[in-house]
This record gives sequence, C-alpha cells and structure tokens, in this order.
Amino acid sequence: MNTLLGRLTPWIAGAAVLIALPHVFTSGFALTLMSQIGLLIVFALAYNMLLGQGGMLSFGHAVYFGLAGYFTIHYLNFIYEEQVPYIPVTLIPLLGGLVGLFFGILIGYVSTRRAGTTFAMISLGFGEMVTALTLVLVAIFNGEDGIQTDRVLGEELFGITYGPNIEVYYLIAGWCLVCTLAMFLLTRTPFGRISNAVRDNPERVEFIGYSSQRIRWLAFSLSSFFAGIAGALHAVNIEHVGFEQVSVIQSGLVLFMVYIGGTASFVGPIIGATLLYFLQSTLTGVTEAWVLYLGVLFVGVIMFFPGGLAGLISMHQPIWRARARLLAPLLVPYSRFLAALIVCVLGCIGLIEMLYFRSSRLSTETELVIYGVESDPFSAGPWLIFAAAAALGAFAIRKTYPGAVSAWNTAIADARARPLG
Amino acid sequence: MESIIFAVFNGVLYGMLLFLLASGLTLIFSMMGVLNFAHASFFMLGAYFAYQISEGLNFWAALFIAPVIVGLVGAGIERWGLRPVHRYGHVAELLFTFGVAYVIEELVQMIWGRVPVPYEIPELMSGALFTWQGFDYSIYRVFMLVVSVAIFVALFALLTYTRIGLIIRAAVSDPVHVATLGHDIPRIFMWTFGFGCALAGVAGVVGGNVLGTEPAMAIQLGPIVFVVIVIGGLGSLGGALVAALLIGIVTRLAIFYDYGLGSLFLSLGLEIDTAGLLRDFTRITTAQVAPVLPYLMLVLMLIFKPRGLFGTRDV
Amino acid sequence: MAVLKWVRAFGITLPIVLAAFSARGADTVKLGLIEPFSGPIAAVGRDTLEIFEFFANEVNQRGGVLGGRHIEIVPLDNAMNAEKTTQQLRKVIDDDIRFVSQGVGSNHALNIIKFLTRHNRRNPDQAILYLNHSAVTTSFTNELCSFWHFRFDANVDMKVAALVTQIGRDPSVSKLYMLNQNYAYGQAFQAAAQRLLAERAPEAELVGDELIVPFGKVLDFTPYIAKIKASGADTVLTGNWGPDLVRFVKAAAEANLDVAFYTIYAGIPSSVAGIGAKDGIATQLKQVTEMHENDALYDQQPAGLLDTYERWRQQTGKSLYSERMRWTIEYFAAALDKAGSDDPALVAAAMEGMEMEGPAGLMAMRAADHQIIFPMVISTMTEDVGRPFIYDGEDYGVAFATDGWIMSDAIELPTTCEMKRP
Repeated sequence: MNTLLGRLTPWIAGAAVLIALPHVFTSGFALTLMSQIGLLIVFALAYNMLLGQGGMLSFGHAVYFGLAGYFTIHYLNFIYEEQVPYIPVTLIPLLGGLVGLFFGILIGYVSTRRAGTTFAMISLGFGEMVTALTLVLVAIFNGEDGIQTDRVLGEELFGITYGPNIEVYYLIAGWCLVCTLAMFLLTRTPFGRISNAVRDNPERVEFIGYSSQRIRWLAFSLSSFFAGIAGALHAVNIEHVGFEQVSVIQSGLVLFMVYIGGTASFVGPIIGATLLYFLQSTLTGVTEAWVLYLGVLFVGVIMFFPGGLAGLISMHQPIWRARARLLAPLLVPYSRFLAALIVCVLGCIGLIEMLYFRSSRLSTETELVIYGVESDPFSAGPWLIFAAAAALGAFAIRKTYPGAVSAWNTAIADARARPLG
Repeated sequence: MESIIFAVFNGVLYGMLLFLLASGLTLIFSMMGVLNFAHASFFMLGAYFAYQISEGLNFWAALFIAPVIVGLVGAGIERWGLRPVHRYGHVAELLFTFGVAYVIEELVQMIWGRVPVPYEIPELMSGALFTWQGFDYSIYRVFMLVVSVAIFVALFALLTYTRIGLIIRAAVSDPVHVATLGHDIPRIFMWTFGFGCALAGVAGVVGGNVLGTEPAMAIQLGPIVFVVIVIGGLGSLGGALVAALLIGIVTRLAIFYDYGLGSLFLSLGLEIDTAGLLRDFTRITTAQVAPVLPYLMLVLMLIFKPRGLFGTRDV
Repeated sequence: MAVLKWVRAFGITLPIVLAAFSARGADTVKLGLIEPFSGPIAAVGRDTLEIFEFFANEVNQRGGVLGGRHIEIVPLDNAMNAEKTTQQLRKVIDDDIRFVSQGVGSNHALNIIKFLTRHNRRNPDQAILYLNHSAVTTSFTNELCSFWHFRFDANVDMKVAALVTQIGRDPSVSKLYMLNQNYAYGQAFQAAAQRLLAERAPEAELVGDELIVPFGKVLDFTPYIAKIKASGADTVLTGNWGPDLVRFVKAAAEANLDVAFYTIYAGIPSSVAGIGAKDGIATQLKQVTEMHENDALYDQQPAGLLDTYERWRQQTGKSLYSERMRWTIEYFAAALDKAGSDDPALVAAAMEGMEMEGPAGLMAMRAADHQIIFPMVISTMTEDVGRPFIYDGEDYGVAFATDGWIMSDAIELPTTCEMKRP
C-alpha cells in the first residue's frame, strides 16, 4: 500500500499544482501562457516518445500537431453548420488525436523503415511538403490566413461553455494530466521497453523475434496520436490554426524544448517545455536577441550537458537517495562554479545587447538599459566592463569546474559505498 | 523537340547549381558520417563574406578569400564544437549542427542587419553570352556551370586518385588502423569538415548574387539540399550529381509543360468537383507545384528504394 | 541545480523586465502595437514601431490629445506567430489598453478582428478598437467587416485597381503577363486583376497568368522568364513580395528581359536592398503607394509637414515609405479629440466618415466599411534624382519618379459590408 501511495504522490501533487496555478497567477496573459505550456507539455512528451525513447530524430513532427489542429477547427465549424455529428468540446482533443494517429500510421509506414539520419531527412521532407501544401490548397488550409473558429458550442456538463479562458485552462490541464499519465504508463509496458531496445540495438531486437521497423512504426503512430491531441488543444485554446503550426519552425521548437529539458528522463520534456515557453514569452518583448540566446543555450546543452536539465537532476539522484546530507559538501564548489558562470553569462549578454543596439537601433530608442543601468554602447566604458566580466567569468569557470566535478565524484563514490536507506 | 532540349538544358543549369550547393554536404557525410544541418548557413556565410570582400576589393578576390574564411570557420567549429560532441553519436552531432544553424543566422543578422544586402553579379559577366529561343544566357550563368563541373571533377579526382583521398576513405572504414599508421584522425576530420564548409562557401560566393543574399536564405535553401543528397544516396558524390540534375530537369519540365489534374480527369471523363473542399486538387497544375515535386520524389524514392539512387550504406 | 538554474533565469530576466516597464508615463492614451519585433522579419516590425513612435511624438509635441494627454505606443512582440498574437491580445486586456494597431501579416489581422469581435461582444465595457495600418485582405472590409476595425491602407483590390488603371493609360502596354504567389493574397490579386483588366485596360492582352509556390520556395525563376519571353509580353503585373519578388526581378534583369514590372511592393526597403539599383532600373520597376519622396506634391506640402518629413529623414536615415502610418496616428489623434473621450466606441463613431487632408487631396474613412479612400501614385525606379532612397543611413543610389496619380474615384470600389453597430 505504501509503495502505491508513493507512486501516486507525484501525480496527486501535479494535479494539485495544476488546479492551484490559475488562482496564483490570475492575469489573462498568465492564463494563456499556462494553457500553452500545458498543451506543449503533451506535445513535448509525445515528441520524446520518438527522440528519447525510440531514438528517432524528427524535424517534422509539427505536421501531426498542425493537421490535427486544422481538422479540429474544420470540425467545430462543421458542427455549426450541422453537417457532422455533435461532439462536445471536452472530447474534441480525442478527435484530434485520432487525426494525428491516422496521419502517423500513414506517413509512419513510409518514414520508419529507416532510423537515424535517413529518418530525420524523411521527416524534414514531409514537413516541407505539408507546409507547402497548406499554402497551395487554399480551400482546406486557407493559405497564410489560416482558419478560425468559435470554440463556444453551447453548454456542456456543469454549465461549462469554454467561453472564459479559465475553463479552457482546466480543459487543457485535465488532458495534460491524462496524457502525461498515459504516456508514463506506456513507458512501463513491454512495448515501452522494446522501443528502448530498438533505439539502443535494433539488431538484437530482430534476433529475439521482433521487427524493429514495426516497433518504430507503432511508436511513431502513438506519438502522432498524442501530438494530435496537443494540436487539437492548441486549436481550441487559440481558436486559430495556420501554416506556422505545421512548419519546420514549430518542429524545431519542440525539439529544442525536449533536448534542453533532457531526453533521457520522463520529466525532461516537461521541464523543457515549461522553461523554454516561459522564457520565450517573457524575453521576446525584452530583447531582440532571444533567438540567439536560445540557439546558444541549445548548443551549450548538447556540448556540455547532453542529458539536459533533467539529466543534471538525475545525476544527483543517487546521492540524495543514499543520504541527503551528502549533498552538503557540494554546496561550496557548486556555488563557486555557478557564480563564475553567472558573471560570464551576464558579461556576454551585455556585449550582445550592445552589439544589437549598435547594429539595429531605432532612432526613437535613445538609451540602452542593461541590468537597470544606462549603458552607452558608443563609449568604451561599458564594453570594457562587460568584456572584463565575460573574460573573468570564463577564466573562473575553468578554475572552478574541476572542483565541482571532483566534489560530485567524491559524493557519488560515498553514496555508492553506503547501503540504501 | 527543340523545346524539350531547351527545358532539359535549363534543368541542367539549375541542377548543377543544386549540385554545387550539395557537394560539400555529401563530402562531409561520406567522410565523417555527419549530416551537417548548418550547411546552408555556411553557404550564407560565403555569400555575406563575398559581398563584404567585393565591396572592398572585387569579385575575384572574394571568390578565393571568402571560401577560405568559411572553411576556417567550419574547421574551428569542428575542432571546438563538433569534436567534443562526437562521442555522443550521430544524432547528437546532427542536433549540434542544427543549433549552429540558428546561431549563425542570428549572428549574420547582428552583423549585416535584417534586410538583404545588395550583392550583385560582377559587371564584367552580366552581359549575354548567347541567345536561345529568344532567351539571353549571361556569361555568369555559364561561369556558374563551369565552376560546378570543375568542382565535381576535382572532388572526384581527389577522392579516387590522391593519397589524401585514400587516407580519408581508410579513416572512415577503419580509424584504429589508420591511427596506428601515424595519421592524426581528429585532424583529418577537422580539415575535411573545413573543406566541406569551404565548398559551401564557394557555392555562396557564386550563388549568393543570383539567389539574393539575406538572413532567411539558409532556411529557404537548406531543405532542398538535403533532398538532393538523400535522393542521390547519402554519401555518394555521383548520386548527388545525378539527383541534382534529375530535380533540375523534372522541375523545369513541370513548369514548361503545364498540366493539371483537372485536365487529366476531364480526359478520363470524370466529374470535377469545383466547389467543395477538394476543389484545389483539380485546379492545381504542375507548374504551380514544381518546387514541391522534389519532396514528392523524395517520398517516392524512399518507398521504393530507401537507400537512394547510389547509396551503399544505411545510417 | 535545476532550481538554481531557474533562479538564474529569473535573475537575468527580472532586471530587464523591470527596466522595460519603468519608463511608463502616467496619464497617457495607450496604443498597443502588435508586430514581429524578433525573428526573421523583425526588421519590418521594428521599422513600423519607429514610425509610430516618431509620429506619436509629433502629436505629443504639438500638445497631445484630449487637452494635453500624450499618446503612448506600447510595443507587443508577436514574433510572427498566431498564438503569440492571441497572447499579446490577452495582455492588452490585462493592462487595460483600449486601442491596438497591427498590419504585418493578414493572418494576424484576421485573428485580431475575430478575437476583438468575440471579446467586445462579451465585454462591451472593455471594448478594444483595432487600427489596421497595412493588412490588405479585401474581405476585412467586405464580408468580414467589423465595427471595431478601421483600415488605413488600400486593400488588394484597390491597389490592383490603381495599377490596372495606370496600365490602361500606358500606351506601351500591349501584352501583359501575370505571375502571383499561390496563396490567399496572390489569388486575390489575380482575381481582382482578371476582373478589372477587361474594363480598365481593354487594349492590354493577357498572354500569361501564372501562380507559384510562395515564400521563397522558388529558387530559380529562369524558366518563368523563358515563358514570359516566349509569350512576347512587354509588361509583367505581379503582387509578389519578399524573396519571391527579389529573385523574380533579378532573374529577369539577368536574362535582359525587356519588360516593365508593375508591382505593389517594389519600394519597401527589403525589396530595394535585395534587387539593387542596376536590376531595378533595368526592369523599369514600378510600385503603387500613397506618396513618395520625389513627387512634385512632396515639396508642396505645408511647411510644418515638410519640415517633419525632412526631420524624419535626418533622424532615422530612412526614406519615409509608409506615409499611411502617419495618417493612422493623425486619424487616431483627431478622432480622440472629436470624441472628447478615450472610450473606444465613441472614438470609433468619431472616426466613421472622418475626412482629412492627405498629400494629394482629401482622404475619407468610409463609414460603410471602415476602409480609407485616398489617391494613389504609380512611380518607377530611376537613377538617383532628387531625394535618393535611403535606409539605415545608406544611399541605395535609386529614387522613384512619378508616372501618374490615380484619384480616389478610380480606386473606390463598392463594398459588400453589412456593418453591425453596437
């Protein structure tokens, strides 16, 4: 009983957080932000079924997200015209999932015949083709304008109309929780295990009697199903879908989210989607250079933390599992390293902001404020200060990094030396 | 008949430009097994450097200096970026170059601004060399063709007949043995990557003034280059050439001989739906979808011959 | 570690966020400007912001609106993404901003119209008014028209009407070739041209009518040029913009194609910079605009306005391409004063039918569909004459010279709008 309760705790806590969030952050902006994050979590987890669990790198997974969105909006509009049977908005995401599943089975049959780089290229090809078709087939996709709908179909259970954004938030939160649980349980099934095996060594999987291609196809189809649910939720939330939802840019964004969050662990995509979408929404209005920061962060994660942010957490899991007190000696070397990192990053950001200001300043912008201080990018002072900070930070990173690593090595060795409990 | 030859000739011109774009990519892949997603970004860097150099000096200086700089940038990225990632496998390498493409695009915008730069064909070569079917072919078009052919011949000879080519090919199939023979494998890889990027740089210098030099050019060009090397068979230089020519010729024919599904249905005596959601399918003609045809060819190729035209290995 | 990363992320964003919000004025009339300020086409959004801030500042310097209040432009980045547009609209509601403006991208414009129609119906006390400065889809003032939407640019049909009228006047046009982008906008251009050519330029024979995959997918335009050459056309009519225009024109110039190009968007900075002086002049590139800097009327503007124009060139180092954005601000200010209130419903009512002196005569905001009507000018790219075209302080060595004005009566088209007023 205890273990069951222990297993359920994270889910109950997650549900409680989802219920509580809109009472903490009440603005319409925050509500939209959280709704978007909720559906992006579903999309990112679906994507990680391919990348993390199946070893398939896709540059075109937004196809299933977007096509489900188009279908959903058309279906809602058809309901208005009474051409199709009525489905309550609450269940519309399931319809989107089926659309994703349909295209996943269809396209997956062709594209999952090969893994690795070939698969990545095919996914890119399909992504480009579908994006081009959304522009050409105006009657279905309405080109650049995209298609719109009104999500308020009438009263559903308990008088819910999905007019107010808060109701849509709870719709998304509910589906997010259900999908997350479903995808988590899927990783625990024999299928989930064999999917990992196909990622790691397809040859051996063939030896024990499975078709690795079949497994990839199945994983691809299921992933497209959940991507479709996310796409339908997006359509209900924004009440619009356009070609940018199927485009390679959207596919690239979900890839960034999943990889930065961490592909190896189940929570990685959740962290990645939350963090990246939050940063994207808040930083775009503040700095012109956010795409650059995003790219640098992504490259940095690949080079230095291939496990992503979740990987950093799970690196320390054995230590606090063994004894939480073992984390204490890590504190000083880690904060030294972190301080160095912060100084370096702040310096670099200052330099980049000044460069952007010099290259694309508007005449109506007369001053550049960095960290609350007015910095004149046309005088030497700020350049020297930021360059010094960047250089000093970089130097300090080199100095403090070995200390942090050896502290972790010591701690993990101690943790392994002790019996669990 | 002459019009078919005319279309094919135009297809060859365009196809050779595509090959020029793809040559460096297929070289890097065949040598290192790395699919360089940032290839089109190096192409863009080549165009921007060429613009900057031809502002100060002239086009000929740019033709030789810009690819060298791009090659050095590429070698630097391999040395300090790609090499540490190598141990995490090919997918991580592909992802790394994907990230690099983002960073390069933003850096280009930071340095040269967000509007296109006026990089133009040198005055000397903008005149017409010959006229066919009333269409003037400039000296520059033919110059592009010459550069592409020269690069194909040089690459082919380099890989097949020289000692360097031999060592590189050996390093791919058996790095341990080549290393014990005293060759520095990481350094070979670094210069291979740099050389491939330099080829993209050449394409940038030669193609940037025709296609337009702007920050979005890498995103627009990237996918088609991948289609070329996948259809040709990953890692096959000859395959890339054939695929590029095939794409060039097919798309040109589609534009010149403008057929539509609608006329096909009519000739088959089928009813045409002109009002419903599917009406666009009957209205579309081959000329309208010509740029999408390469992707369709890619899909068909993968259904019937997943390794591409001349591919020898899976990845 | 992850927690620390979060803290770090906040540590970076928070000071910048605070700095961005600290500069807010006290009692201003806020106009939210939803445009792409980041991403690949941020240049367009940022240029728009510059014009809006410059001319809002002009109004404020004159004494502001409603007896001394200032107009404040609030930039809201949509990164050219539909969901970001919606998100910024929710922020507009949060921050109690009652006026928004947007123009880059018809898809975003459509989203704003639909969003505000729903919002204003559900919350009449918090209604929001939308000033559309550049989105040209004709249906916004036809079947999709809304009381809460005002358009300060000519729609596609009107721009095509102006181009076709000029083609009818141009005796050198006998064979015409059309090439457009195959999506909603390009198809609307094509349809309007097919309709209007018959009545306004009956002399011109349509020898080709082509659609291409849009948004930079066509890399090589030579086969299209060969087809145009084979058709014997002497004039090309195209609605293309961006790389689809730049590559098209460059390929034509390279093949020494002897035709004149009638376009809508040849004069926007990215087109001029991408095409370059040599190719643009060789193809007799023409554009249709509300005004340009080398027209005779430019120098005949009232002294105060001429002074403002020159100050704009001096301060920004840019040619004033979008005169219409100045009107947007001027109309906004005038309507606020006429309504005597910053209530969007009253401002909208005041704006209906409002007339204003434009650069070439009277402009009118048609009450029936909220579409502005004004004279337009066709001009051709030429050598550097008078005021050269400049952008970011760089002189591109070209200018535009007037071919002719098309007066309001030739541009004004009937509307199918059935306006629902609250």
